[in-house]
Parts: sequence; C-alpha cells; structure tokens
Amino acid sequence: MDKQGHKASRTIEVTVLSAENLRLDRKSVKKNTYVTARASPLNSGSTKADFEGGSNPSWNEKLTLEMPFQTSFISLEVICKTNSGDRVIGTASLPISDILEDYTPENHLHFLSYRLRDSKGGRNGVINVSARVKMPVDSVCPSVTKNPIGYGCSSSWQQPALGVPVGHQKNYYSGVVTGVPVWS
Amino acid sequence: MGNCCSDVAGGRAAVGGSGAAAGNDAVDHFLKSRGMYGSQMELSFSATNLRDRDVLSKSDPILIGYTKGKDGTLAEVFRTEVILNSLNPTWITKHVITFQFEAVQTLVFHAYDVDTQFHNIDVKMLKLEELQFLGEASCVLSEVVTRPSRSLNLDLLFREDPTMSGNLRHCGQLIVHAEECISSKTTMEMVLRCSDLEHKDLFSKSDPFLLISKIVEVGLPIPVCKTEVLKNDHNPVWKPIYLSIQHVGSKENPLMIECFNFNSSGKHDLIGKVKKSLVELEKLHSNGEGENLFLPTTVGHNHQNKLLKSQLFVDKFSQSSQRTFLDYLAGGCELNFMVAVDFTASNGNPRLPDSLHYLDPSGRLNAYQRAILEVGEVLKFYDSDKRFPAWGFGARPIDGPVSHCFNLNGSNNHCEVDGIQGIMTAYTSALYNVSLAGPTLFGPVISNAALIASQSPANGGKKYFVLLIITDGVVTDLQETKDAIVKASDLPLSILIVGVGGADFKEMEILDADKGERLESSSGRVASRDIVQFLPFRDVQSGEIAVVQALLAELPTQFLSYMRSRDDIQPNI
Repeated sequence: MDKQGHKASRTIEVTVLSAENLRLDRKSVKKNTYVTARASPLNSGSTKADFEGGSNPSWNEKLTLEMPFQTSFISLEVICKTNSGDRVIGTASLPISDILEDYTPENHLHFLSYRLRDSKGGRNGVINVSARVKMPVDSVCPSVTKNPIGYGCSSSWQQPALGVPVGHQKNYYSGVVTGVPVWS
Repeated sequence: MGNCCSDVAGGRAAVGGSGAAAGNDAVDHFLKSRGMYGSQMELSFSATNLRDRDVLSKSDPILIGYTKGKDGTLAEVFRTEVILNSLNPTWITKHVITFQFEAVQTLVFHAYDVDTQFHNIDVKMLKLEELQFLGEASCVLSEVVTRPSRSLNLDLLFREDPTMSGNLRHCGQLIVHAEECISSKTTMEMVLRCSDLEHKDLFSKSDPFLLISKIVEVGLPIPVCKTEVLKNDHNPVWKPIYLSIQHVGSKENPLMIECFNFNSSGKHDLIGKVKKSLVELEKLHSNGEGENLFLPTTVGHNHQNKLLKSQLFVDKFSQSSQRTFLDYLAGGCELNFMVAVDFTASNGNPRLPDSLHYLDPSGRLNAYQRAILEVGEVLKFYDSDKRFPAWGFGARPIDGPVSHCFNLNGSNNHCEVDGIQGIMTAYTSALYNVSLAGPTLFGPVISNAALIASQSPANGGKKYFVLLIITDGVVTDLQETKDAIVKASDLPLSILIVGVGGADFKEMEILDADKGERLESSSGRVASRDIVQFLPFRDVQSGEIAVVQALLAELPTQFLSYMRSRDDIQPNI
C-alpha cells in the first residue's frame, strides 16, 4: 500500500496447465517436473510435481501472484527434480500485456502458450497456462470493460475509426464506459 | 468431432494401415464420407391442420422424406407409418441423419393421404402415384439445429395446378424436431503407452505412433484415431486421445490398435498390434496390466501371430459426457462470418478474362465469388442477423493511398453488408472503385477481425467469429501475420484462407498448424490452439471434396476447443 492506502500491485491468477515435449540432456523427461512462476524476486509460487505425465506433464494448479505495477512480465520456470538436485528444463516470460489485452474485459481468462528455452537458449518444449487479473471485490465498477471502439476500417489502414454509426452496430459490445473505476 | 490430431507434421502424415502409405487427407475424407466426424441426429415429425382429403373421415397421413442433391435431384431416405384419421398427426417413425456442419443438407418432405384400400400394405411398397398429395415442405438441417428448441415449423404447400409455377396454397404445418443421439456426447479419454518397443531404425530408436481402427464385419478396419509421433522412444507415452462412442460403434466393438514406426516416405513399419474393445481397455487400466503386442507372420501357408515382449498399457481411462457443438448452438451460440478479399495487382487486370477478378458477362462466377458463396452459404445459418463484415486489402481506393484493410462497401465508418448477396454486390462494386496494388499483407485484416472477436467475451461470450481470407499470392508480412494469428488464438476466432490461382502456396501452409508445428510469434508466444485452415482452391476444384467441406470440416473442433476451455477448466487449487 502507498501512503494514500492505494494498492501498489495488481493480483494475477496464473493457472499452470501443462507442458509439452520436455527434454533433459536430449532425452524425454520421465517425471518429477514442477513450475515456478515469479512476478518479482520476493513474490513467486510453485506447483506440485507431476509424477505421471513424463515429457507432457500437466499440473492444473492455480498460483496467485501480487504483481507490482512497474513489473512487465511473469517469469515461468519448468524444473525437474533429479537425484543430483533440481534442474531447470526451460524458462519463458509471460508479458503482462498478454493478459491486459486492449479490448477484452479486465478479468477475462486468457489461455496462453510460450516457447520454453533452456540455459543455452535452445528450444525445449512449450508451456501452457491460463491467466487473468483478479478483480478487487470492492471495486466501484467491477463489470466495466475497457472503452470499446468501433471496428470499421477507414479507407487507408489505421486503427479502426472511433464510433460506429447507429444501426450498423452488431452489438459486439455493450454500453460506453462513463468513468474510470477507482480501487479502494 | 473429437478426434485427436497430431501437432507435428510427422504425426499428420502418420496414417496407414498395415504399413501401407496413406495421406492424412485421404483418411480424413474417408472418415467424413462415412459420417465419422458428424453428430447423429434423430428427427421426429408432427403436423397440424392438414387438408382433409377423405369424405366420410379424416385424412390418413404418411410423411416421406428426401435429401436434395446439389443438382436438385431428390433421394428418398425415409417413410413414416400411416396415422389413421388425423389432421394433426404425430408420427412415431424417427429418421436418423448425420449432421455434417460443412455441408448444406437440404431436406424435402412430402405428405400424402393413404386411402383405406392400401392400409394393409407395407409403407415401403406404397406407390406414390396412388396416394393423394397433401403438401410439401423443405428446410436445411442447419436451420433445425440452430433453433434453441431444435424445432422448426414449416408451412406445407400445395400447388393447385401442377402445370403452373405459381398458385401455391398453404395447407397446414409440419414440425421437425431434432435430438442429438447420446452416443455423440459420450467421450472416452485414454492415455496409452508402450514398453520395450523393438528397434526398427538402423541408427536410432523407433519413432512410434498408434493408429486405432474400428473392426467391421466386411472390409478393412476403419481408422478412427491416431496419436502423435514420438521421436526416438522405445517406451513412449502419448498425449491423451479422445474417442466418442459414436466413432467406435459401442464399447464392446473390437478395436485394432496398431503401433507403427514412422517413416517420412509414408511407408510406416508395423511394430506390433493389439485387438481390444473399449471395455477390455478399461479393464487393463483398472487392473494396471499390460497387453503384449503381436505381429502377424506367415510361415509357409500358415498365418500365425508372433507374440512380442512389447506391451501396451492404458495409463488413463475416463468416460465423460461433454457438451457438443450442437449443444452450444442450442444454448444461443452463433458463428459470425467475416470476409477479406485480396485486391493486389498480381490478380491481373479485372477487365481482362485471364484475371482472377474477371467478372464474366455470362454470369459465370470467378474463384473469389465462388469461395465467398460456397463458404457463406454454409455459415449464414449460424448468424442470426446475417450482417457480415467485409474488407478488401492490397488496393488503392479512389484518391487514397494503398490500404491493407478497407471496407468493401466503400463506407468510411462501417464494414458490414447485408447477407451473402450483400458481400457479392460490395465485391463487384469495389472492383470498379479501387485500383489493384500491393503488397499482400494479412496483418491488418487479421488484427481487425481479432478486434471484433475480442468484444465477444464482454457480451456473454456467445459469439464465435470466422474470417475468410481469399488471396492469390504468398503473404509478404509472414512474421507479422504469425504474430497476429498467435495473438488471436486466445480469441473466439477461426481463420479460413483460400488460395486462388496458380501461385506456389507452400509457405502459406506454415500458417496451418495441421501441416506443421504450432505457430510461434516473434516474442516466443505460441498459438494456444490451431485457428487457421488453409486450402489452395485448385486442390478441390476438380476433386470430389467440395472446397467448403475441406475448409470448414475443422471449424466445429476449433469452436469447441475455445468454448470448452472457457467452460470446463476447473483447476485443482
């Protein structure tokens, strides 16, 4: 909280779903993989280890992270428990911009997949997650979507023109935002 | 519609019974032609206020159903029983039909009054010319299944004078009701693995995949499902596969599970096979046991099965009833059609007959018009207001710079047109109002379609969008297009790309994840699902598979992959 009592972070829910084609030392991973999601050095969460999925593990585990407003991405690490200790199989970055899409509702559930890279930068499988911004229960206007815009193309390509003539609207969005929600 | 498909090119090619090579498209067509991907619908019929053709009693109606071919010919598919003395009959006879999303299935119904003298004759033996005609009605199956109640009221029409084209008279109503058969909804999820597979490759381990086929009484087993290819793995664990009861007939039906070593030539080596029903596979899972693979061998004239030490295990077996494509439609979901047309100069001067945009005075449609019409005619039934966004790209509108997304109707403000005919009209007028230019950029139209699709979740998430892009050339902004597609893969959107003309579209196939790996953006984000279908128009022009069917076949699966993920994900917290 800052001096005015405003929250200096947003709450992000990341559900770690699964990964595909994981390899360790050029061999398919057999078991004991887990994922750590890190929003900042002091703010991270980890899943339980998967014992059955082998190189295609699934976790389906929700991690809730407090994300400082100045932080631009969440780091995802897939780690394998081995006899010689924990080894990082691959890492990926989840940019916050992928969750805060321009035109979807604030708390929209996004399904996202990212390429995992090993310590040498080589491709090592894919991680699948879902993520959403957790809305404060006491927000003034929790159901407000971001300001919707028209979707007609003007004759030369640019961001679609603002406003759609009445009668030509397919009701792709409802209403107009008249204020900015205030978080208490 | 729940078949598993591999993510890798090898897996897509990995089909072929008993080592024979077979392309994936051939198998897909084979399955589709037998209704393997459709849902079984049971149609029931009733009527109200029929004409009374009997003097001393009421009519004794029978209903006869036909399917209408593309050429207009009728093929009889069912006859109901005769209901005695009723002008408001409810027939007991049901008609089971496979709903094929990708086809326009026109049904025609004729109602007749059966005279008393024919009441003891089997309905199949009745001669129609001896019956009294009560009226006819027709509909498209899609019209029935898109109704929330899955019931459609049709006016029965009767022509007073058969020699005249007009003079149609209303003579009652026919009510058609559709129910989806339960077998379409029951799905098995299985995780299969093998142990100790034999070496088939000279310098490396085998690259195994499984092919599951339904054993039928006559003829070769029918392939119903396949796994992905796992490289260099003697103890492979494949991704979950999904089989609906409808695919296999019943849980007791024997299935042939064949394990092949993948070869890029298409001649895959049979490693071994197992013959088991779903009931037996479930037992293997619950007992935690494996089943030894066998290899058919021939010693002289004797056919023997050589038992191998390799084993098949069922690591997971679960049965669930999932909401189907038709359930979502009944719940009010819609498919909204959008189209984008390539106006780049490589199409040729529209005033010359060799141009892909040539408007033939005889009325013969060009490739662009045919693609719009064929796709639109299927999709229009799933859009309630039938107003379609339509764009052009790669042209210079009058007094303006080259635009890579302009409204086909010429408006600066709105992009929608009324109906499929509205698209055709807007396309024709655009040809007279823009000058063809270039290059071929997809990014802007995909971003614009994604923008519209992104509004759907804010409105209850009942709309799913389908963008048809028709193009004559390879895309110039390949990476930007990939980025736009990857970003859009999280939205209720599918993209159909039709390639027209003689260009080499090899590069375009990269965009279709069926034919390669999942798309990856420049930032390392990967498409969360496959949303692109690409098809060169010439592939299907002369073949028996209509362009529409080849293009649209995967749409229900793509729709379900989006909708189910929003419905069903219940994480373990």
